[in-house]
Amino acid sequence: MKLSLIKMTAFCFAAALVGSQCAVAQQQPGLTPTTIRIGSFGALTGPGYLYGKLAMNGIDVVFDEVNAAGGINGRKLELVREDDRCDPAGAIGAVQKLIYQEQVFALIGGGCSNATFAARETIEKAEIPFLVVASVHDGITTPPARTIFSTALTSTIESKAQIQYAITSGAKKIAVVSMRDSWGRARYTPLMEELKSKGITLVADEEMSPDANDATAQVLRLKQADADAVIMVLFPKPAAVFARDSQKLGFKPLLIGQTGIGDPAAFEDQVGVPGATAKFRTISMVKYTPADPEMEKWRKLVEAKFPGDRLSVFNLFGIGSAQVLVEALKRAGPDLTREKLVSELANIHDLSVDVFGAPITCTATDHRCNKSPAWLAKDPTGPVKVLSVTRVD
Amino acid sequence: MSLFSRRNVLSSLFVLALLVPTFANAYHLFVANLILIYVLLAIGLNVLVGYAGQLAFANAAMFGIGAYATALLQVHLSWPFYFAFPAGALIAMAVGLLISLPALRLSGLYLALSTLAFAQFTQWVFLHWDNLTFGAGGFKSPPISFLPLPLSKPVGLYYLSLITASCVTLFTQNIMASRIGRAFVAVRDGDVAAQSLGIDLLRYKALAFGISGFTAGLAGGLYSQLFNFVSPEGFDLFQMVIQKAMIVVGGLGSIAGSVLGAGAIIVILELLREVKGAQEIVFGGVLIFFVTFLRGGLVGSLQKYVRGWDEPLHGARPLASKQVARVRLDEKESMS
Amino acid sequence: MLLFSYLLLSGITTGALYALVAIGLVVVNKSTGIINFAQGELFMFCGFVAWMVHVQFGQAYPFAFIAAIAGGFLLGVVTDRVAFRSLAKTDIVGLVLATVGLAFVLRGSARMIWGGKGDYLSFPPITSPEPVMIGTIMVVPQQMAALAGAVAIMLVFAAFFRFTRAGKIMRATADNSKAATLVGISIQNVYTLAFGTGAAIAGAAGVLAAPLTLLYPDMGFAFFIKGFAAAVLGGLTSLSGAIVGGLLVGVVEAMAGGYIHSSMMEVAPFLLIMLVLIVCPTGILSLYKARDV
Repeated sequence: MKLSLIKMTAFCFAAALVGSQCAVAQQQPGLTPTTIRIGSFGALTGPGYLYGKLAMNGIDVVFDEVNAAGGINGRKLELVREDDRCDPAGAIGAVQKLIYQEQVFALIGGGCSNATFAARETIEKAEIPFLVVASVHDGITTPPARTIFSTALTSTIESKAQIQYAITSGAKKIAVVSMRDSWGRARYTPLMEELKSKGITLVADEEMSPDANDATAQVLRLKQADADAVIMVLFPKPAAVFARDSQKLGFKPLLIGQTGIGDPAAFEDQVGVPGATAKFRTISMVKYTPADPEMEKWRKLVEAKFPGDRLSVFNLFGIGSAQVLVEALKRAGPDLTREKLVSELANIHDLSVDVFGAPITCTATDHRCNKSPAWLAKDPTGPVKVLSVTRVD
Repeated sequence: MSLFSRRNVLSSLFVLALLVPTFANAYHLFVANLILIYVLLAIGLNVLVGYAGQLAFANAAMFGIGAYATALLQVHLSWPFYFAFPAGALIAMAVGLLISLPALRLSGLYLALSTLAFAQFTQWVFLHWDNLTFGAGGFKSPPISFLPLPLSKPVGLYYLSLITASCVTLFTQNIMASRIGRAFVAVRDGDVAAQSLGIDLLRYKALAFGISGFTAGLAGGLYSQLFNFVSPEGFDLFQMVIQKAMIVVGGLGSIAGSVLGAGAIIVILELLREVKGAQEIVFGGVLIFFVTFLRGGLVGSLQKYVRGWDEPLHGARPLASKQVARVRLDEKESMS
Repeated sequence: MLLFSYLLLSGITTGALYALVAIGLVVVNKSTGIINFAQGELFMFCGFVAWMVHVQFGQAYPFAFIAAIAGGFLLGVVTDRVAFRSLAKTDIVGLVLATVGLAFVLRGSARMIWGGKGDYLSFPPITSPEPVMIGTIMVVPQQMAALAGAVAIMLVFAAFFRFTRAGKIMRATADNSKAATLVGISIQNVYTLAFGTGAAIAGAAGVLAAPLTLLYPDMGFAFFIKGFAAAVLGGLTSLSGAIVGGLLVGVVEAMAGGYIHSSMMEVAPFLLIMLVLIVCPTGILSLYKARDV
C-alpha cells in the first residue's frame, strides 16, 4: 500500500514537470491574423443582469455590424462573455478566467460596481486594456490605472450633476432617497461630499430597499420636512413605488433621477399613476431612449439577434462603449498590440458615437471619458425630450 | 486495505493538492484555493446539519463575520494577520454559540426561519454599520506577506488554506468518530430520546454550533485574504444555498463527503461558466438531480458501488417517518 | 394620529401581499410538511405568464387570471411528477434543497424568456390606477383588491380543508403519512395535488400583486422570505394565521419605517421573527402547542 502511494506521488510530479514545459507564452494573447478576442464580464444571472447581459447584447450587436463590414483591419471581433453574478469573488474569477484561460486581447464590460472594483487589481496586474461600460464606482477610475478607461458616467459625475440641477432649478429644501446597497452607496457617498462642499444641508435623508413595495413612511417624512426637490438614488422599482406613493399622498416635489432610471417613458409606465411623473427629470448616460426614432436601426439589430427582447437603455450602454472600443482598435492599426490600444484609448478626443450625449474625450491623466450627462424629461402626454446635455468636470 | 478506501482517496487528494501550484495557472490556483476554503465551510455545516441535525441557515453569516472580523482587526487595529485570523475565527465561534441558545427550543423549520432571519439581520448590519464595516462599498484589507519564505502571496495563501483544511478535516473526523459524534447523531435522531439517555442537549448543540462557527470563521479569514477585499455581497443567501448544496451532494453525515462535495460544487460552478446565461437553470437542475436520484450524496453512491469505501454512514432520517417507529426501510446502516 | 393611520394602512396593504405568499406556503405545508422554497419564484413566474397573456398577446384580464392559476397548477403538478418523485423519502435538508433548485430553474427560465423585455415590467391594475379617497386617506384600488383576494383565497381553502374529502385526505397525510398509506391514500397523488394547489395560489397571488410590485425575475426571494416569516408567525399550519402573520409583518415594517427610520424597514420583520421565536417557539397562532418527538 505504501508503495502505491509513492508511485502515485512520483507520477504526479512527473506530470507536473511535463505540463509546465507545455505552457507557451503568447506574444499578443487573443490575436490571430483573422480574429481579435475581446472578453466581457458582468452579471449574466441575478438582479445585476440588466447591466451585464443586456449591455453585452449591445456590444454583440456592434461587433456583428463591424464584422459584417469586414472587421477591423482584416480581423473579425469575437466576444467572450463571463458571469460575475454581481459578486466580487465571481468577478475576480471571471476576469482571471478571461485573462489566463481564454487569453483575451482586451476587456470591455463591468456591470456591478463592487464586483468591478474588486477585479481592478487583477486587471491592472495583467496590464490588459479594459473599457468600463456600466460600473459607476469612482474607485475603478480614480486614481487612474494605466490600462483602464470608462465610458460610464461615474457616480461623482452624476451626483454632482444632480445637485447642480437642483440648485439651478431654484430648490431650497433638498432631500435624498437612496438604496443602501453597493450601487446606491457608490452614488450616495460622493453626493454627500458634494453637498458638504457646497454647504447645503439636507432636510431629509431616507432609505428604500431595492425590493420595497411601499414608500408611505418615506414620503410622509419628506412631506413633513417640506422638501421641494428629491434626489432619487434608486432603481426603477423603488423609484416607481416612491413616485406612486408621493402622488397618492399629495406630495409633488421636483423628482431628480439618474442613469438607473434613465428612461422616462418606461418609468412613467412603471409608476402607472397618471401625472405622477410630471415633475420627473433624469440623467442618462446616453442621450436616447429606446422609443427614439434615431434608435430604430439598433432596435432592429437587437431584436433580430435576440428574439423576444425589446431594445432597452442597457443595450445602448453597451452599444456606445463598444463603438468607442472599435474606433480605438481601428486607430491602433493592423500591427495591433495591447500597448497601442491603450495609447489610442488615452488619446481619444471629441469622438462622436451614436448614443452618448456629447463627444467622448479621454486624457492621459483622466480616464473617465464620458462626462456629459444628458437631462431627459417627459410630459405626461408627449414624447421624451432632451432638456440639455451638461458637462461636469 | 483496498485501493479505494477512504484514507487512500483523501491522502492522494492531499498529495495532489500539494502539487497544484507547480502546474496551475493563476486562475486554476484561485479555484483550488476557493475549494479549500469551501471544504472548511462544508465540514462545519455538515457537523451542524448532517450530524447534529440542526437545520440552520446561519453559516453564511458566520462566514461573513469571520471575514469581516479578520479584515477589520487588520484595518482598524493594525493587527498582523496571524493574530487577526484566529481572533476572527473565535469571534465567529462566539456568534455561533450565541445562536445556539435560542436553538435549544427551536427545531426544524422554525430553526430554519430564525437562522434565516439572523442571516438577513447580519447582512443589514454589514450594510448599515458604516463606521465599523465600511458599509456597502466594502473595503480593502492588507495582504499578508510570507517572507522570509520564498512564496508569493497567492501560493503562500494556498498552502496556508491547505494546512488549515487538512487539520480541520483530521480533527473533525476524529471528533465525529468519538462519543461526541455519536451524541450529535442521537440529538439529530430524536432529542427527547437523547435527553433520556443522559445527553446534555445544551452542551452538544452549543458544541455543534461552536464548531461550525469556528470553521466558518477560519474560512472567512482566508477568504478575506484571497481577494483582499471584503464586501457584504459574498455572504448572502446564495452563498448559503451553495454550502447546503455541498453537503447534500457530498453526503450528509460524512466528513469525507464534505470534502468531496465542496470540490464537486465549486468545479460545477466553474464549469457552469460554459453555459453562460443558462447557469441558474442548470444549477437548479443539478440540485434537484442530486436530491432525487443520489440520496446519500456522492459518499452514499461510493458506499454502494465502490468496494472498500469504508464510510460509517450516519445519514439523516427521512422527514415522512418523523413520528413513527425506528424501522428504516432504505439505506443500509453500518455500525462503525 | 394621521401619521399612524397612514402607516397602519400602508402596513396592511403591503402585508396583504405577504399574506398571499404565506397562504400558498401554508397550504403546501399543511399537506406535506414541506416548505416550498420556490413559492416566491412560482409567484413571479405566474405573474409573467399573466403578463404575457394580457399585455403581450392582448387578451382580456380574466383570461390572464385564469391562465396564471391554471399555469401555476400545471407547473406545480409537472415539477412534482418530474422532480420530486421520491421526496417522501428524503430528509428535510434535501427537501429544502430540491425546492431551492426549482426556484433557480424558474428564475433562470424567466430571465431567459422575459428578461430582455425591460427591467421591470408593468402590469395594468384590475381597476383604474387613480387613487381614491376612503375617509381622509387615499388608497390605490389595487391594494384593496389584493387584500380582498387574500381573504377570499383563505376562506376558499379553509372550507376546502375542512369540508371536502380531498382536503381531509391532505390533512391526514400531513399528520401521519405512514398511517395514511395504510388506509389507502396515495401519498404521491396527495403531494402532487398539494404542490399544484400551492402553485395555483401563487399564480393568483402573482396576478393580484403584479400591478403593485412590477414584474422582474428576481422578485421572488424577497416575497418568499417575508411570506415564510408570516406563515411561521401564524403557526405553519393555520390559514388564518397566514393572513394575520402577513399583516403583522407588513404593519411592523411600516411602523418601524415611520417612527424609527426608513433604514429599519428591511430589518424590522427579521428582528420580530427572532424575538417571537425565542418566546413562542412554535409561532404565535399555532394550532398545536405540541412538539414532534
